[in-house]
Amino acid sequence: MLLQVLVNGVLFGTTYGIAAIGLSLIFGTMRIIFLAQGTFIVFFAYVCFWLFTLLGIDPYLSLVIVIPIALLVGSLLYYGVFKEAAALEDKNISLLLAVGLMYLVENIMLVVWSPDPRSIVTPYTTLVFRPFDIVLPFTRLIALIIALVSALGVYIFLKRTLIGTAVRAASEDMVSTTLMGINPSFVNAIAFAIGIGMAGVAGVALATIFPFDPGYGFIFAIKALIALALGGIGNVGGALLGGIMLGLIENLASYYVGGGWADAISYGVFILVLSFRPQGLFGKALKKA
Amino acid sequence: MANQLLEIKDLDVYYGDVQVLRSVSMHVEEGGIVALVGANGAGKTTLLKTISGLIRARKGEILLDGAPLHTLGPKAVVDKGVIHVPEGRRLFSGLTIYENLRLGAYIPRSRPMFNTSLEQVYALFPILKDRRNQKAGSLSGGEQQMLAIARAVMAQPRLLMLDEPSLGLSPILVRTIFQLINTLNEHKTTILLVEQNIHQTLKIAHHAFVLRVGRIVMSGTGNELLANDDIWKDYIGSRKVR
Amino acid sequence: MRYVSTAFGYLKDRRRVNVVIVLLVAAVLALIPLFMSVEGNYWIYFLFLTFVNTVIAQGWNLVAGYAGQISLGQNAFFGLGAYTTALLWIHDITKTGYYFDPVVMLLSGVVPAILAVIIGIPLLSRLRGDYFAFGTLGVGQILIVIFIKARHITGGADGIHIPSMVYSSMAPYYYTGLLLALFATALVYFITRSKIGLALRAVREDEMSAASHGVFILQYKVFAFAVGAFLAGLAGSLYGIYLFHINPDSVLNMNWLFYPILMCVLGGTGTIVGPAIGALFMTALFSFGDRYFAQYHPIISGVLIILVMRFMPSGIIGLKDRFSRRTRFSL
Repeated sequence: MLLQVLVNGVLFGTTYGIAAIGLSLIFGTMRIIFLAQGTFIVFFAYVCFWLFTLLGIDPYLSLVIVIPIALLVGSLLYYGVFKEAAALEDKNISLLLAVGLMYLVENIMLVVWSPDPRSIVTPYTTLVFRPFDIVLPFTRLIALIIALVSALGVYIFLKRTLIGTAVRAASEDMVSTTLMGINPSFVNAIAFAIGIGMAGVAGVALATIFPFDPGYGFIFAIKALIALALGGIGNVGGALLGGIMLGLIENLASYYVGGGWADAISYGVFILVLSFRPQGLFGKALKKA
Repeated sequence: MANQLLEIKDLDVYYGDVQVLRSVSMHVEEGGIVALVGANGAGKTTLLKTISGLIRARKGEILLDGAPLHTLGPKAVVDKGVIHVPEGRRLFSGLTIYENLRLGAYIPRSRPMFNTSLEQVYALFPILKDRRNQKAGSLSGGEQQMLAIARAVMAQPRLLMLDEPSLGLSPILVRTIFQLINTLNEHKTTILLVEQNIHQTLKIAHHAFVLRVGRIVMSGTGNELLANDDIWKDYIGSRKVR
Repeated sequence: MRYVSTAFGYLKDRRRVNVVIVLLVAAVLALIPLFMSVEGNYWIYFLFLTFVNTVIAQGWNLVAGYAGQISLGQNAFFGLGAYTTALLWIHDITKTGYYFDPVVMLLSGVVPAILAVIIGIPLLSRLRGDYFAFGTLGVGQILIVIFIKARHITGGADGIHIPSMVYSSMAPYYYTGLLLALFATALVYFITRSKIGLALRAVREDEMSAASHGVFILQYKVFAFAVGAFLAGLAGSLYGIYLFHINPDSVLNMNWLFYPILMCVLGGTGTIVGPAIGALFMTALFSFGDRYFAQYHPIISGVLIILVMRFMPSGIIGLKDRFSRRTRFSL
């Protein structure tokens, strides 16, 4: 029934939102859309899965491990792969690097971990609350909470720390930031690391909710992108809301139109938003860097 | 000759394949106000960008206190106390005044003195103190220019480089800004002022250079150049005003 | 003697040397089947693939390298070309009975081109750079859904089968492929040298400046996009004929999105022969990989893109420029 559909949309949408926050941070500073975001989310979902399957670590506890790893991976990736390309005027190179990375990681996962879908089953996987006749799976609820908490964390980082302020400044005007003696590479690296960190969070959330396989990464990346386009670039809340909106659209489309068309409708909305309101519903109009 | 804080020798700067600065030589005395004037496109901003390390020169030298500056990147240049206030202010409009100022003192050199610098700045620009939690984007043009300069002051500059601070401001505001520049200079800040607005600039400058199509074509004291008719050649339709 | 010196004089123009080289290579390639048995020959198959790849690569090359727009939807045009060919053939619309019916091929290029114009006009007029790329991505994905859903026309996930009894020999495939590859390269060559190419270059360098000089930008961008789609469709058509069995998985999958990019990146985007060189390298790599590391070669292509973009963003052709100061920095 409709309310259930809406609730589902919100619950799942926050995961898109987290992915979108990561994209927003990376785009804000480096001005590229990191298409490999989805693939990394799946990667961290696998990490969570293996931590659970091999070491018996509860997925939610594994966040303590996954997040630092993700931040580290993000920094390494930036310094190893993107640093020089980020300084170039031609952003296509960075874009293609992200595409290559996506291709690479997805295929490595395919080979190493096989295309079989995986899912995590814990004692609480089937736990469900039913307030007012609405089905609220425990795992989705926790995913929602995790998403909100990490979004809040990022928000606080951006607003209240000096480095976070520098990241915000860099998102607005990289040249000016450089003239303050702030190292643009460092700021990029921080933003990128947090972006991947967000992928880590989303990965854990994903692992607890859905079965996943390596191919899902690309789809997820596009969804994150759509969420970002909907919500707009430049603020954490906007990206989160964008994700929720996408979740709603998807679920509504599934409910009324069914099956594969839900995807097509999402893409259609995406193109519409890009064409008619590129700054998204909550973002500031973007000056071309 | 007094101590040269900044010396530029035979600088050649290219943008891609196009040469923008040709054999530029100039100097800035410690404690003085030096003006660099020239028409649009003469290369003034490029020169400032080269000094602050955003652009690398192809040939020539820039020396700060006799030591090479042209080999340093933007971060190191700021660390040495050479602060560039770019054309068009380029504030962080989404950030508050306070946050803008805080970023101004980001580098390790000026961070310990943050509170002192902040007080200085608030004393010089009371209006910024009043509005310190307002977003920079909501300020008027004149206030934004003041914030831009204040932000630079937060870095405790040895050499303050201003790119067209009078741009887009009304004559009264321009006068205020120039008074400000004088005040800063009286507080021992060396100033390199890049401007199109010749008249006011040359009046306060101790020394001035004229840049035309990438070359230094004239130099002298502010008054000498003011009296020189040649200067006005670059400005179509403008006439010398006494 | 006079003739010899005239010949050398003719060759002095570097561009002419390149043209002559290309023609020579083409001639050699044309002669190969006369010296080798064509059937079941791995090299012939390899070259055939290279030709198909060259065509789709040149399509992307024109859009990205010359018009400066990155298209992430070439797989849609490729697939559309393949499906068009299959449908035309199955329903015997042109009634010629030729397998390599030029009309069918032409239409297989034209249909995607028309689609490109239809979506290109709104997308290109409103979207810049990244946004345009995603627009094409979105369109490509939507198309895939449509293809799968329109089961009664396209055969859904199972696709269309072309009767294989018509297959007689590999030779026509080879020669058609060679012809199309040459055609694609020549097309890019002539477009770049024409007024259109000049306009495209102006737009790519500085769009606002070009617009203010009266260049009506949109038509050139749409033209480049349409030609890119046309070439992708042609490639799809040829490949489809070869495959006999066309379904979303074989002609619409992501690989056909990445391969043109990879080839151009390897060989050099924005050059005339770069994509062909890239196609050769990539096809070689994949064939080699397929034989020895079947599962791993997609990984290799990922590593390859990264390495090339990291260390030689201008591709193989750009290697000679590497030490010049041509890279512009954003500060």
